[in-house]
Amino acid sequence: MLQPATVRILVVRSPGGAPAEPVSAVAALERLGAEVIVEAVGSVDEALARARTSEVDLVVAEPGAPPAPVARLLEALRADGPPVIVLTASGEEERALDWFRAGAADCVAAASAEEALPVAALDLIRRQRAARQQQLVERRIASLRRYTRNIIQNINSALLVVDGACRVTWANGAAEELLGEPPGGLVGRVASEWFEGESVADSPLLRSLEKGERFRGVEVALRRSDGERVPAAIFCGPLRDDEGNDLGAVAILQDLSETRRLQRQLFHSEKMASIGQLAAGVAHEINNPVGFIDANLFQMEEYVADLRRLWSRVRALVGAVEQGDPAAVRGELAALRVETEALDAEFLLEDLGKAIRESREGSERIRHIVQDLRAFARSDGSERVWADVNQCLDSTANIVWSMMKHAVRLQKSYGELPALRCHPGQLKQVFMNLLMNAYQAVVARVGDTGELGSIEVATALEPAGTPGDSAGQFVVVTVRDDGVGIAASHLDRIFDPFFTTKEVGVGTGLGLSTAFHLVSSQGGRIEAASREGEGSTFRVVLPVTQPARGGA
Amino acid sequence: MAPVLLIVDDEVRVLSALRRALRKEGYEILLASTYQEALKLLAEHPVDGVLSDHKMPGMSGVQLLREAARLRPAAARFLISGWPEEVPAAELRALAIRALIPKPWNDAELKSELRAALLR
Repeated sequence: MLQPATVRILVVRSPGGAPAEPVSAVAALERLGAEVIVEAVGSVDEALARARTSEVDLVVAEPGAPPAPVARLLEALRADGPPVIVLTASGEEERALDWFRAGAADCVAAASAEEALPVAALDLIRRQRAARQQQLVERRIASLRRYTRNIIQNINSALLVVDGACRVTWANGAAEELLGEPPGGLVGRVASEWFEGESVADSPLLRSLEKGERFRGVEVALRRSDGERVPAAIFCGPLRDDEGNDLGAVAILQDLSETRRLQRQLFHSEKMASIGQLAAGVAHEINNPVGFIDANLFQMEEYVADLRRLWSRVRALVGAVEQGDPAAVRGELAALRVETEALDAEFLLEDLGKAIRESREGSERIRHIVQDLRAFARSDGSERVWADVNQCLDSTANIVWSMMKHAVRLQKSYGELPALRCHPGQLKQVFMNLLMNAYQAVVARVGDTGELGSIEVATALEPAGTPGDSAGQFVVVTVRDDGVGIAASHLDRIFDPFFTTKEVGVGTGLGLSTAFHLVSSQGGRIEAASREGEGSTFRVVLPVTQPARGGA
Repeated sequence: MAPVLLIVDDEVRVLSALRRALRKEGYEILLASTYQEALKLLAEHPVDGVLSDHKMPGMSGVQLLREAARLRPAAARFLISGWPEEVPAAELRALAIRALIPKPWNDAELKSELRAALLR
């Protein structure tokens, strides 16, 4: 009846030994059952000592105990001791009120103690137990609350909870740090003010709030109050209670500054590696014009020497004419004719012009190559800009063409495309990577046989409605080759960092993983299909960004 | 009769510059910018010498000179290349190629190599 465990009741006997009245509190209480241990102590001091050292659930003071020590007992246990029942001797029942005032939990007339004491004791013990339980629960709730708060406070990700009006109701230290606010500085602020982008309505947090959408690691740009911009990944979704009522939204923000910095370094080294590969091809392309310009200059020097000889004949003729010596004039004229004939002056003049034109065309070609190369090596700014994807692809194809033309037939078919808001330098790097891979795949197949492989590059605007895509059109860039192809077992690993089948020193293993990242960071994706021995097709799928409203 | 020299390079400006350089050398010069043209000229003309670029689409210079050796065994064979180190030495020997001339070329060197083989 008193679950769980045993109950310990302390009975304080009157100091005088025999009770004033023949009540046996002990006997009465023992009726409560085997799980009740009743102990009798002889004095208040002894009772207090016992109550302090062991778990006592209830103290019963017998009526024989003198009033002063009972009052002391009540006083001592009042604050946090076990409850005390005072048995009042017959004739002293009117003192009950005093005992209650002094802190007694209950008073029982000694006369009716045999019946009433067990009932009162039971009631008090139950209440005591309940109160203790309650305390325990409260303590555990408080500790749990502290525990979760510490977890949330100490996780290295910024956590924001907003209400239906996007006002911050809760934020952890990492959130304050990320957004550059002092402790407590976020609560009450409108969270959307930190998100920047093309359109605030597109911000993931607002979409979670308004449409209940969930986002996992979408990249956002944060603008802190001090004006600093921070790239971050946001994980957010609606916050609902157990009944499904909207409470707002909850978001975790991850600072990507360091990640971005390392990635930029990695991408840059990958780009430098591909430029290194390019250099050989470009050198070849520059070598030819340098060769013929050089030869032409050498030849033109000879032409000039020839023309100088002719000019000295002309001057001699002019001299003879001025002197009015007809014989000398005739002589010089004949000599000039012979010289003109010998030098093939007509041809010489015509060919001189041709050599100059051809050389200029050569230097123009070199200038273009250098320009393309410089445009390729240049890094993008952090801002996206409107760019023509066809132009990005074409200029990249032009650069690599020089190194692949001896082995490849390149077909281009460009569709009509809208301008895309993107990082054009990154797109060029992606195209370069795909073209170089295609070229290497072709060379791996045709080798030195002199056979020409084929690479097709194509662009097209694809409509929405492709399975798995929600809305909007896509710009699709396809690079197809008839090279060696990719083994089926490799196909799902080609985008993994450091995966390469190329020889050491040929591939970094970062080309496709970099390309994949660059494309997905612009909201797109790369698809690959291949058949060993037949070739590969890579598709870069980029979502068409709508021009910002308001004509920006 | 002037010796007939066939020059092959996929770059027409290089052909033009080579012809210019060799104008006074006394050859009858034939030009081809593809291997098909070159094979046709080899079949139709009594060629005494072939000067071919190496890296060309469709057929490498070495392969073309192999064809030339078959069609005109007596013709002297020369290779000109921007990447002479890429040409396998064994092929040079097997085809008895007279000279491997680097690009850009030195006019005097080019002329003397050709003279030694064609103007005796």
